[in-house]
Amino acid sequence: MGTNSGATAGINNKPVGGATGAGVLVGGGVGGANSSIGGVLSNSLGGGGSGGLSISGLNAGGQNANVGGMGNVGGDDGGNGMVGGGVNNQQATTPQYTIPGILHFIQHEWSRFELERSQWDVDRAELQARIAMLLGERKCLESLKSDLTRRIKMLEYALRQERAKFYRLKYGTDPPQLNEFKPSNEDAGLAGEVATDSEVPYSSVSNTTWRQGRQMLRQYLAEIGYTDNIIDVRSNRVRSILGLNNNAEHDGSGGGLGGGLGGGTGGENLSPNINGNESNKRASETEGRHTPAKKVQQSIDEIIVDTEAAVMANFEFLGATEMSDDDEISDDLEMVATDNDDTDVKLAKRAKSGKDMLTEDLEADVGEQLLNDMNLMTEEVDGSLGLGELAQLTVNNESDGAYDANSKDGTGGSAGGAGYRKTWNAKYTLRSHFDGVRSLIFHPEEPVLITASEDHTLKLWNLQKTVQAKKSASLDVEPLYTFRAHTGPVLCLGMSSSGETCYSGGLDGNIECWQLPSPNIDPYDCYDPNVHSGTLEGHTDAVWGLTTMQSNIVSCSADGTVKLWSPYNKEPLLRTYTASEAEGVPSSVDFVRNEVDHIVVAYNSAHCIVYDTETGKQVVRLEAAQEMSGNTGKFINKVVSHPTLPITITAHEDRHIRFWDNTSGTLVHSMVAHLEPVTSLAVDAHGLYLLSGSHDCSIRLWNLDNKTCVQEITAHRKKFDESIFDVAFHATKPYIASAGADGLAKVFV
Amino acid sequence: MKMADGSTILRRNRPGTKSKDFCRWPDEPLEEMDSTLAVQQYIQQLIKRDPSNVELILTMPEAQDEGVWKYEHLRQFCMELNGLAVRLQKECSPSTCTQMTATDQWIFLCAAHKTPKECPAIDYTRHTLDGAACLLNSNKYFPSRVSIKESSVTKLGSVCRRVYRIFSHAYFHHRRIFDEFEAETYLCHRFTHFVTKYNLMSKENLIVPINVGENAAPGESEA
Repeated sequence: MGTNSGATAGINNKPVGGATGAGVLVGGGVGGANSSIGGVLSNSLGGGGSGGLSISGLNAGGQNANVGGMGNVGGDDGGNGMVGGGVNNQQATTPQYTIPGILHFIQHEWSRFELERSQWDVDRAELQARIAMLLGERKCLESLKSDLTRRIKMLEYALRQERAKFYRLKYGTDPPQLNEFKPSNEDAGLAGEVATDSEVPYSSVSNTTWRQGRQMLRQYLAEIGYTDNIIDVRSNRVRSILGLNNNAEHDGSGGGLGGGLGGGTGGENLSPNINGNESNKRASETEGRHTPAKKVQQSIDEIIVDTEAAVMANFEFLGATEMSDDDEISDDLEMVATDNDDTDVKLAKRAKSGKDMLTEDLEADVGEQLLNDMNLMTEEVDGSLGLGELAQLTVNNESDGAYDANSKDGTGGSAGGAGYRKTWNAKYTLRSHFDGVRSLIFHPEEPVLITASEDHTLKLWNLQKTVQAKKSASLDVEPLYTFRAHTGPVLCLGMSSSGETCYSGGLDGNIECWQLPSPNIDPYDCYDPNVHSGTLEGHTDAVWGLTTMQSNIVSCSADGTVKLWSPYNKEPLLRTYTASEAEGVPSSVDFVRNEVDHIVVAYNSAHCIVYDTETGKQVVRLEAAQEMSGNTGKFINKVVSHPTLPITITAHEDRHIRFWDNTSGTLVHSMVAHLEPVTSLAVDAHGLYLLSGSHDCSIRLWNLDNKTCVQEITAHRKKFDESIFDVAFHATKPYIASAGADGLAKVFV
Repeated sequence: MKMADGSTILRRNRPGTKSKDFCRWPDEPLEEMDSTLAVQQYIQQLIKRDPSNVELILTMPEAQDEGVWKYEHLRQFCMELNGLAVRLQKECSPSTCTQMTATDQWIFLCAAHKTPKECPAIDYTRHTLDGAACLLNSNKYFPSRVSIKESSVTKLGSVCRRVYRIFSHAYFHHRRIFDEFEAETYLCHRFTHFVTKYNLMSKENLIVPINVGENAAPGESEA
């Protein structure tokens, strides 16, 4: 029935459909061996319930089975299949295949499929376990990387701080460099270089630590009983994994840390490591061989458990990483405990490091010393400034001292500030006399000066005319005229009130009268005998004092007499005044300026006598009773009269200047004026200032109101024991002059 | 005044000193003079003592700079010539001596002017002495009394030649004045020895005879 049905179907359809129908029938026959086959059979039976549906169901199932069957046939018995088909198609009613053969073929193919399926499942589980392990290791490595990165950043920070400190010590302040350093720090390349530099010593230390840790780890594993092979396998695995990253530095660092972690954690951590090793071991064994189906299933379960252990072990690594600092400390302690060559090398290395540190400290000290030196230099500069100020103070003190000294000299110790009218400065030095200049006098109106010298001559000088002489290229004040008539040194001078006539007295006892030439004459003009207008003869010895008033002249001489002259009379000598023998020789004479017909005469007995020129009698005798003793020391060198007051001023050999009242003849003031005898005096036309000259080579200017010295000028040099012979004020122009034994006359403005 | 103040001798001429006592104090060795004018003091000291002892006056002390020695002596000559000029002024006048001559052989021109000028004798004398005073006291050529520049020493020769003409004019034209002055000062005698000793003038220019005295040198004769 079945066969017929199939054959009929085949006949109804194409030839291929006929073959399919045969297969279906064969399947239905085998249904008793397999549940799936049973299902097919049941479907066929169900289809049999209804005639039409049954045929369709069978056709569908038959097509599926046939497709598979044809494939198998093609694979195993290709030739047979084709031949069978052909034969079957050509001879529709002749059967080629047997049902037992077909069933055997189908059963064989099914077994093969099942076997391959189980193998695939095993491979899948194995690969998943491997993935899990790799993920764990990746996490561990990532944690190591972050830790190392953190260490590197710390080292970079420390290095940057050290460099900034060094720059600060070296240059004082380095904000700009810090600004420059920060951008360079931001630069990745430079940062990498810095990291590399900072990492090298750490790397070496880490390597050493790693070796020590690994050695100790081997000891512990040996105690537990594990062999080196297991350790080597794990080490190779770790290295291969790190090698994939192409980071040798990380390799070294990771190894070191791993070893350190192992050693540091002690027993607690060893267990997870051991578990990890076991999991690795089993995994490797699994890779190595193929197992039966049942055994394979058991292996899968074990692999899963081991994978979990591996993951936990990896997490243990993560936990241990957090304790890296403590591990390092432990390593140091352990190394100290063990006396190994490595330890010695380490200590030596540390010693070197210490030396480097000391060197750095020394350099820092040197820098500090340099800074200190700079500070000291700054302080020295400050000190120098201070010294400068002290020097200025010293100068001020000296000035004050000098001023005080002047005041003391002037007033005998009373300190008083004197108002300066002017400070006189040297302007001209009149150099033409061959020997000492004994006297000098100014013209009343013109800037003209007459000087009398021991070289027997007088010279006329025009102070407003500086001559550029033929023989000299420098500007010298040359004398306009030289008066020659004396046969010996000229000792004193007098000037008429009009300024037209000049008188000179000399050692030869004569008084020569001169008609002054014009201030603008040629110095080398022809000789004019009329310049010498006459000679007053009468004195029998040196004429030492000469003074004029109106048209009269009064002179004193070493012959002991004082004579009054009127040069324009036929008989010029008017009167002769002679004091008693006890008074000695007159040394100086002057008209009393505020009294007509009075003269004051100084004698070398230290007395002054005021005479009335009309009667020739003594009016008053200037004498200090208290100072009668020691007349020799009170020799008077010069006497002058105050222009507006009844005061007479005398210059003494005992260095004093004394003031006398003409009305009462009493001493009103006395002051030590110079270091050596006072030789000359001059009062200005207004009676405010007094000039004094001395053999101590100095001129002093005195304020007559308070008797204080306002200026001192060192003006001349000494010849023998003599220095300044005369001083003079100009009546109307701001000139003063001094005459010296060195042959010079000096003019101050 | 010759006075001893304690143990110190004060070499000073105080006002009132008599003419015979002027500068009359004990002599002082040159070594003890500490003044910058020591050489002048020493020379004046020797002349004061005995002006006729020409050899002693012209003998230069040891360790003395020759330039300074010649300079100070020339200053002294010019200073003392003022005395001769004073005497000549009374007799010599432009009307009688219209030119500066010694013998009839030479006429000397005055060098004190911008261009040499033919001055009367008395003017020549005055101008030469005034010019010498300016030169010898010039701050340019002789700024110091202690040392003399070598370039300035040569100027002493020209001053000597002009100064000598004053002596020669006085000798040949005013013999009486010359003899009186010479008897007092021996100035021409000393000057002749001075210029001869230091070769400041040639011998043929020394036309004033000096064999009238006991110190006459045998080799010299009247020209």
